[in-house]
Amino acid sequence: MSAADGAPGLADLDAALAGDAPLPRDNGELVFEEPWQGRALGMGVVALARTGASWAEFRRHLVAAIRRRPHDPGESAATAYYAAWLDALEALLAERGLHAPRRRS
Amino acid sequence: MSEAHDHEHGHDHEPGRTHDAPLSEVELRVKALESLLVEKGLVSTDAVDAIIELYERDVGPKNGARVVARAWTDPAYRERLLADGTRAIAELGFGGAEADNLVAVANTAAVHNVVVCTLCSCYPWPVLGLPPTWYKSLPYRARMVAEPRAVLREFGLELPDEVQVRVWDSSAEVRYLVVPMRPAGTDGLTEDALAALVTRDCMIGTAVPLPPRPAA
Repeated sequence: MSAADGAPGLADLDAALAGDAPLPRDNGELVFEEPWQGRALGMGVVALARTGASWAEFRRHLVAAIRRRPHDPGESAATAYYAAWLDALEALLAERGLHAPRRRS
Repeated sequence: MSEAHDHEHGHDHEPGRTHDAPLSEVELRVKALESLLVEKGLVSTDAVDAIIELYERDVGPKNGARVVARAWTDPAYRERLLADGTRAIAELGFGGAEADNLVAVANTAAVHNVVVCTLCSCYPWPVLGLPPTWYKSLPYRARMVAEPRAVLREFGLELPDEVQVRVWDSSAEVRYLVVPMRPAGTDGLTEDALAALVTRDCMIGTAVPLPPRPAA
């Protein structure tokens, strides 16, 4: 009944992202500083399940996005992480022809 | 450990909420991406909401309940669990930084264990999931040490006078998991059915597992 049925549990996500790209946490709790961060996470999980993309594939994009992103000292860890998460999700969708990233000037 | 947890923010995921300020660039980006995914039939707003809710509830307490149920049914596992909690939960596939030094403490007819973190809210989340709000509250943290029986009574747990209450203070280094006593009348139950009796509070020590209700 729940739309979350069949979704990977948080432990699966942690296992998939452990090492280079762990979810931001504070004493074990997921950190969402602003609602968009939770939505970014949720969209990624749902979109991955629907496209059949693997977490290994997403992780590759995410690690690359984290490396690519310039470090902004004024930005919190969660903001930086979920911004990279969006980069990764868009890149993965673009690779599958589902998203044409608009180039910003 | 950070002392001041602000849990007011970050839990407002209603997509249609009203913003006082204009949307930031990243908020617009998220909205645009979500619209695109909805349009392509890859995502529904409900499904995204459900995921967020799922992760906020976490699956943790179920992990701990499986550990306890295994300890109830397998005496050798119970021994390993009490000797080295971290290694024993790893046998079931659980672990993580917040359970690197997990100590399991077993309730007996003579001793009842309860866990608190007096400094902040250290918690073995790989087995218990996200801590309940009261666990992080100052009154719980202060009073559980000073007057554990009174606090347990407020949780609805009345312990006989002869039972000794042992309060364990969690820290960033050591975290505790209470292994409650197996309730009477559960002899024929499977491990899964037993795990269903073990609630989060049982493993913090503010409750004890109840026998299953007879089918109505």
